Amino acid sequence: MLVLVLAAPPVLLAEQKSLDEIAREADAARTADRMQDAIHLYRQGVGVRSAWQDGWWWLGSLYYDQDRFPEAQAALTRFLTLAPKPGPAYAFLGLCEYETHDYTHSLEHFRKWALEGSPGTTELIDVASFHWALLLTREGRFVQSLFLLAAKAERRGGSAALTEAMGLASLRMTFLPEDYPAEQREKVWLAGEAAYYFAVQQADRAEDYEDKLLLHYDRAPNVHYFRGTLFGFQKKREAAKEEYRQELRISPQHAPAMMELARLDLDDGQLDEALSLASRAASLDPKNAAAQHVLGQTLFAAGQVQKGAEALETARRLAPDSPSIRLHLATVYRKLGRTSDAEHELAVFNALKAKQGVLLPPEELQELAHDQPGRTK
Amino acid sequence: MRTRITIAAFMAVGLWLRTAAAMQPQARPAGTPGSSFEQLSRAADQARAQNHDDEAISLYERALELQPEWDEGLWNVSSLLYEKEHYAEARDRLRGFVADQPKAGMGWALLGLSEFQTREYARALDHLRQGMTLGTGGSQGMARSVFYYAAVLLTRFEMYDESQRLLFEMARSGQTESFLVEPVGLAALRMPLLPDEVPYDRREMVRLAGEAALAANDQHRDDAEKLFRQMAAGFPNEPGAHFLYGAFLMDLRPEEGIREMKRELEISPFHVPARVRLAEEYVKEGQVEAALALAAEAVKLAPEDASTHLAWGEALSAKGDLSGAVRELEAARDRAPDTVGIRWALFRAYNAAGRSQDAAREKEAIEKLAQTGSQP
Repeated sequence: MLVLVLAAPPVLLAEQKSLDEIAREADAARTADRMQDAIHLYRQGVGVRSAWQDGWWWLGSLYYDQDRFPEAQAALTRFLTLAPKPGPAYAFLGLCEYETHDYTHSLEHFRKWALEGSPGTTELIDVASFHWALLLTREGRFVQSLFLLAAKAERRGGSAALTEAMGLASLRMTFLPEDYPAEQREKVWLAGEAAYYFAVQQADRAEDYEDKLLLHYDRAPNVHYFRGTLFGFQKKREAAKEEYRQELRISPQHAPAMMELARLDLDDGQLDEALSLASRAASLDPKNAAAQHVLGQTLFAAGQVQKGAEALETARRLAPDSPSIRLHLATVYRKLGRTSDAEHELAVFNALKAKQGVLLPPEELQELAHDQPGRTK
Repeated sequence: MRTRITIAAFMAVGLWLRTAAAMQPQARPAGTPGSSFEQLSRAADQARAQNHDDEAISLYERALELQPEWDEGLWNVSSLLYEKEHYAEARDRLRGFVADQPKAGMGWALLGLSEFQTREYARALDHLRQGMTLGTGGSQGMARSVFYYAAVLLTRFEMYDESQRLLFEMARSGQTESFLVEPVGLAALRMPLLPDEVPYDRREMVRLAGEAALAANDQHRDDAEKLFRQMAAGFPNEPGAHFLYGAFLMDLRPEEGIREMKRELEISPFHVPARVRLAEEYVKEGQVEAALALAAEAVKLAPEDASTHLAWGEALSAKGDLSGAVRELEAARDRAPDTVGIRWALFRAYNAAGRSQDAAREKEAIEKLAQTGSQP
């Protein structure tokens, strides 16, 4: 040990001592709530040793607490280059990037955080998943967004921010709460309240807000689609179908309404209408995996097995992580006598299913809850 | 409404930050300023004094690169950025400023105003409230803006009663009432919208509600009644309209007030304040069972709302269930400890239940609250 110390270059020893001292003072300032002093000291510390992991971490956290997001973002980015186990840092970084409008990186870091098992306190999980949901809405991934928001509603109860976020996602508006048109506010609020009460299983109050929504926005796009989805969750199939049809009268090119209606028709054995709707939805939105998925299922059910396989293969290409597409494809391959392909898809299905609760899209979770291997609609 | 705040409004903070000598405009050095902090900061101050705002901003930014925690520079550049409607940049600078000067009410206030403009409403409200608590350095224009924006945000966050208190306070202090009509109308109708967010087809309803509520607040009852009636008749199926009219009538002609409240409950079956007001009226009229039923429903619908527990507590008290009344009134107090009315109700209930020590403690709390001028 002595040899090692003696062998160390004198400059490093001085640095080490100085950094230890700074670190002690910085920690003391932080724990005594002298945040500006702490920031000053941590900055001094990372100046002495730029690879000082703790220093960058605390700098990032302290700046974050002061809403100084550009500074926090820079510190956390540096921290992540040094930390072998970043823990909750991805979430904090994602939050900073949200605030600095660096949405692409924000999404990327929320995703990485989720892949690490969403580490952090319950408060961090709430805040991060909420902002992640906002970005998913902005990307048009409304179902995923609502899945996260509904989970928060159940955990934490309601808030004005949650209502607004749920309203935007429910009405399929690709906006953030900070940037949607002011004249849409009432509609978003009413839809958000309906979605919130639905999520916390107070259907009668949800219905009250739905009625208020219809009072002024009966002809607005996506309102009937939203009602259709709520009826769908309640297993009120006929009411749901009527709402989807009403949406299609208002928005004739509404591919999601076509898909939902096709799904319901498929379940009811109304294959002609299902096929017509699924085909239209898939042609309107050819890059939509869900549309190809429904089309594949419908073709299969209608006896057009080869065409069904082709549509499902397209769906698989668009959404390779979707277990339910794999499952349905396995069934179709089996029917076609392609046993080894079927076994392969089943193996992938099982592997993907194991990811449940991490990054699996919520619509997949819903489907998985109902599907069994070897069964198709 | 857009707020224009002149640089003069910031002088109070400027004075507080720097010495009077340093505040004096300096002679502009000839040519380009040097690159030292002192040179840049002096040149920035000079450019600002001469209303060369863009140049001043650029010089402040350069000086701040050398001394990022220079409070005076942070404040000056923030106020210039705000003036030029560069709200996001002003916000970021102000965040640095208030981190270093957490007692600067003007800093929090301007930060809140900037965040309002960038539509970060939750933060804006927090920071405007912080500015109100710490004070805005005697600047009336700033105080007016801060109160106004805090009030409209309170409505957007569904804190209608707090918003109305603030708006009526503004009206009492002589603010132009036309400026308050829409915010008062929205709060009174319990619509969580900013004035800019009111749908076109409801503008008239909001205006009528606001004018009526302001007239009622000014004790111009005839005018108020005329306007409320016009509102309820013109918008008979709109949520909130009958509640508002009913609440007004309840003190004048309770029978009509009750009728309006019932109409509101037909339109809005989960309307909590309508239940609370009806329960209160039924207690007054001795219809205790009806009051109990409504108040219990209100608590079930809004268990975190102190007014529901107050109504239930009063109804239980009227029925003679003193332990139940105390339980509910304590629940109300826990949710709104600064509301004097709740404290009085609890004081009476403790006395009635023979809990004199508890009653004395409540009395003490009431006296303390009276000194601090808390909510009625």
